[in-house]
This record gives sequence, structure tokens and C-alpha cells, in this order.
Amino acid sequence: MDFAVKLAFDLLAFTSVMVLIVLGLGVVASMMGIFNFAHGEFVLLGAYTVYIFHEGGLPIWAGIVAAPFVLAIFGALLERSVIRRFYAAPIIAMLGTYAIGLVIRETVRGLLGGHYKSIPEPLPGVFTIGDLDFSVWRTVIIAITLLVILASWLLLARTSIGLQIRGALENPALARSCGIATPRLYTLTFAFGSALAGLAGALIVPLYQLSADIGLRFLVQAFLSVMLGGVGTFEGPVLGAAAVGATAAGLPWLVIPVLADPLVFVIALVIVKFRPQGFITQGRL
Amino acid sequence: MTAILSLPARRGAKGLRVLPIVEIATLVVAIAAPFVLSDRIDLVTLATNVLILSMLAISFDLCWGLSGIMSFGQALFFGVGGYVIALVGRDLGFSHIWGTLPLALLTGFLLSALLGAFLLLGRKTPTVIFVALGTLTGSYAAERLVSGWQYVGAGNGLSSIKLLQAGSYEFVEGTAFYFLALATLLVVYVAARILMRSQLGLVLAGMRQNEERLAFVGYRVQLFKALVFSVAGAIAGVAGALYSYHQGFIGPGNMGPGLSTTAVLYCLFGGSGTLIGPILGTIAVEVITYALADIDAIKSIWPVVLGLVLLGVVMFQPKGILGFFVSDRERIGSYGERPQRGA
Repeated sequence: MDFAVKLAFDLLAFTSVMVLIVLGLGVVASMMGIFNFAHGEFVLLGAYTVYIFHEGGLPIWAGIVAAPFVLAIFGALLERSVIRRFYAAPIIAMLGTYAIGLVIRETVRGLLGGHYKSIPEPLPGVFTIGDLDFSVWRTVIIAITLLVILASWLLLARTSIGLQIRGALENPALARSCGIATPRLYTLTFAFGSALAGLAGALIVPLYQLSADIGLRFLVQAFLSVMLGGVGTFEGPVLGAAAVGATAAGLPWLVIPVLADPLVFVIALVIVKFRPQGFITQGRL
Repeated sequence: MTAILSLPARRGAKGLRVLPIVEIATLVVAIAAPFVLSDRIDLVTLATNVLILSMLAISFDLCWGLSGIMSFGQALFFGVGGYVIALVGRDLGFSHIWGTLPLALLTGFLLSALLGAFLLLGRKTPTVIFVALGTLTGSYAAERLVSGWQYVGAGNGLSSIKLLQAGSYEFVEGTAFYFLALATLLVVYVAARILMRSQLGLVLAGMRQNEERLAFVGYRVQLFKALVFSVAGAIAGVAGALYSYHQGFIGPGNMGPGLSTTAVLYCLFGGSGTLIGPILGTIAVEVITYALADIDAIKSIWPVVLGLVLLGVVMFQPKGILGFFVSDRERIGSYGERPQRGA
């Protein structure tokens, strides 16, 4: 029983990380049809922001607060200058964003000098329920993830900006002719997606050591989550991320670890193959 | 061979055909290179490496430039080809050229046919995103699998691979291996050229224009794609086998997304859809990388520069460097008899 609770907690913590990463990716993919291959590197930049704050002697939590804003500005600038050119061609967009990701990754690698850096948890330690210990920081991540999901959903479902976004997703041409400035909306969406990636990176960097390849590790899983859940929906990517995250964290308990890692990808691909529309049917962001 | 290589004349002011000139010039340079470089074994090794990687670039070009499959996973077949011949050499002590290269070819073909059938065929037409992600995932999953698998050397890969043999002759790095690679590349190139200019190539050209229309006319579009994907996989397999014989090493990094996307860079930089473009792209990228490797200040930012180059090509010059010299008409080519002028 203790073991089961412990395992469930670990699964939940890892799944939360996945959900945070996938949410930003999913919003951009649904909204703009762009599969952002640089998303993993946005996560890396979020983590790197925290590292800069830490190096500069500033508190880590300040870095965590700053990271989404830094990434939002970065994302908005990038959308204005580069991403905008790719809307017509999703494949070219993949190549372009991959190139952007490569530039970011290698730049950070150069700045880090190829070393691994560890960042201490801002809230270290454990709390105890019964005779079980739970990591405080992982609990914080779970809580923040739930808050972010709730806030994103409220933003999309209950505000006028959200209505415009949903409208532009449903029918961009009609939205434009109704006077909705879709280009600005796309900039906002991309900035929002980038901010989520930045937040995810900032939150997970105390758990994983900071290295240039931290984003790559999540990228493929995140993409599969989006496809699995269904592009064009809000719940889809979240569900997909939950499924992939839980499988990725749980499978090593069932099969030997060497096989577990690739098996997650195979399972996800097979499901997407036979249910290409995803868990949730398209069209309801 | 001239009949295969000759393309219809560009109906421009000069009527000059650029591609055959580029092809012949490249071939001449490639044949002359080892004699010029003969006293610099490191440069011959580099040149051999470039030829082998060119095959990987061509393999990607067949997918993307010819049939519009964005494959982010060509290195998967490259790596598997390399691993297979390394294991055959290690466990069976066999490395004769008449057996191993066809084996790598067959392995690459079967694996890519399998993956291609899974990704492309089926009742529902797959989205381009699914295919691109599927190939990327395949490549990534394979890299992770071999980097944890003790039997194939795990993260260290397989080194000191048994040398490639022809009769009693053993190929080591140097001029002989160079010409072996060149001959293989030539065969691959001519085969790809035939494929491209065949009736099948015509169908594929139509597919790139308007896939739906071709489907309505009655072509089983996805089947054609899967076929080309398998051929491309076979080429990558052979290239991987040559690579691991030449380097004496094959590792997880040789089958991952890193190398897969490098192949994309080679191809797009040179000019996709031209076959000779990927070769030029490979030469350019690898030679410049080698030339700059000694300069420490540039070496550390070189991957960043490569990323910027890829971004620049994608954004501003999607036809690659060949696009500056070759007209669209010649790049895409035309088929069948050309109507007589004035007729």
C-alpha cells in the first residue's frame, strides 16, 4: 500500500511535468498548426533563466517567476520575426523551428561550457503523512500544474480573448472578417505557449540537472502526447500528456528499462496510427 | 549513361543545361581528388566520409525532394545498416563485400518498408505531421534502445569492426576505400536518377504538385511513397555499412535524430530534388566544418552557425545553393518527348 501511494505520487509528479510542457506545445499546434520543434529548447531557456538568477545571487523563486515572462517576450519576438513566415507550410515550419531549436541549444551549450549544472530546490525537504515522506517541491509542481491547467482553461473558455482564440481556431478567415486581429492573436498565443514552456523549464530544473539536452529529452514525448490527445482541443493534449507521462514513468516497473523507453514511443505511435484524431475529437478548444 | 543524365534543354535565352555540367564537374573532381590529396591521408579519409554521407543525403532527397515525405529518421536505417555489418563481423567473423553490403541493403530496405508501411499505408491517409513525427520517433527510439542494450555495446557503440574484405584484400582507410565509396555512390546516384526520370518519377512529380488529384485519377499515392521510402532506406543502409567499415566504429549517435537532421541540412543546403544538390551540400558542410575545426574560437560556435544556415535556407532559399544556378524547369525536369520548337 505504501509502495502504491509512493508510486502514484511519483507518477503524478512526472505526469505534471509532462502536462506543463505539452500544454504550451498543444496550444500552439492547435491554434496555428505549427508543430514547434524548438519547444524543448524553450523549456531549456526557462531552466537557463533560473540558472542565470541563481548565478547572479538572486533567489531561485525570482527566477522561476521571471522565466515565463522572459520566454513570453522571446516567443513574441520570434513569432513576429520568423514563425509568421511558416504558417502556410507546416513541414517547413518543422524545419525552421528545428533550426531555431538547434541554435538555442548549441548557444546554451556554449554558454554552459558543456557542463551539467545543478540548481537546488527552492523549497527543499519532505513532509510526512502517516509514515510516508513526500518531496515538497514535487508537490508544489503538481499544485502549480493544476493551477496552470485551470487558469488556461478559464482563459480560453471564459474570457473574450479566449473566445477570439476559439473563433480564430474554428475559422480564421471568418474571424478576420469579423474584425478580430488574428495576427496579433497568433503572436499572443505563441507567446503564451512559450511562457508555459519557460515555466515548465523553470520548475523542473531543480529536479533534473541543467544541461543543453534537457529539452530534447521531452520533445518527442511531448509531440506524441499532442498527437495522442488530439490536435485542436484543450483537454486532448493534457490527457495525452497524462497518458504518456504515466506510461513513461510506470513502464520501467513492468518491463526491463532498456525496452521501456522505446516501448513508450511504439505504443503511442500505434495508438495514434489507429486513432489519428486523438482521444478527443477535433474542434473544441 | 549520358542518356540517363541528360535533361531536356532549358528553353532559355542560352539553352544552357546546368545540372549535367555540375554533375560531370563533380564527378571529375571526385575522381581527381585522391590523386591530388594522395600525400594527405587525413584528407582522403575526410573525402571518403563525405562520399558516404552524400549517400545518406541522397537517401533523404529521395524521400523529401522526390516524393514529399519529410523523413526526420533517415539515420535510423543508416545506423541499423552499420550495426548489422558490425555484428556480423563480430559474431560470425564475416565481412566479405559480396555478402555484407547486400545484407545492409536488404536490412535497410526491409526496415524502411516496414516503417513506411506502418506510417504511410492504411485505410486513413496519414497527415504529413504524423509521418514526420513517426520517422523522428523511430530514429529517437532506436537510439535510446541501442544506447541501453549491452549486446550491441550500449552507449559505447561497437568499435574495432572487422575490416571489409574483397577476396583476400582488406579495405583500410585510404585511396582504395575512397574509390569503393565513389563507385557505390555512383551506382546509387545513377539508380536514383533513373528512378527520378522514370514513369514512376513522373507519378511522384505529379504527387508533389497535387496529391489529391493523383489519387482521384486512380493512383495509390501512399503505395508509391512507401516504395520510394523503402528504396531510400536501402540506400541509407548501405551508406551506414560503409560508414562503420570506414570509421571502424558505429554508435547510438549514428542512428539518432541528430544525424537524421544533419542529412536534412545537407540536402536542403545543396538543393533538394536535384540529387546532385545533396552531394554538393554534404561536401560544403563537411569540408567547411573540417576546415574550421582547428580554430577554437569558431569551433565552439560552429553548431550555432549551422543552425542559422539551416534557418536561413528554410526561410530565404528553399531551393538551396543550386537554386541560384538552376531554373525551376530544369530542377523539376520534364518527361517524355519534348515538342519540337515551332511545331
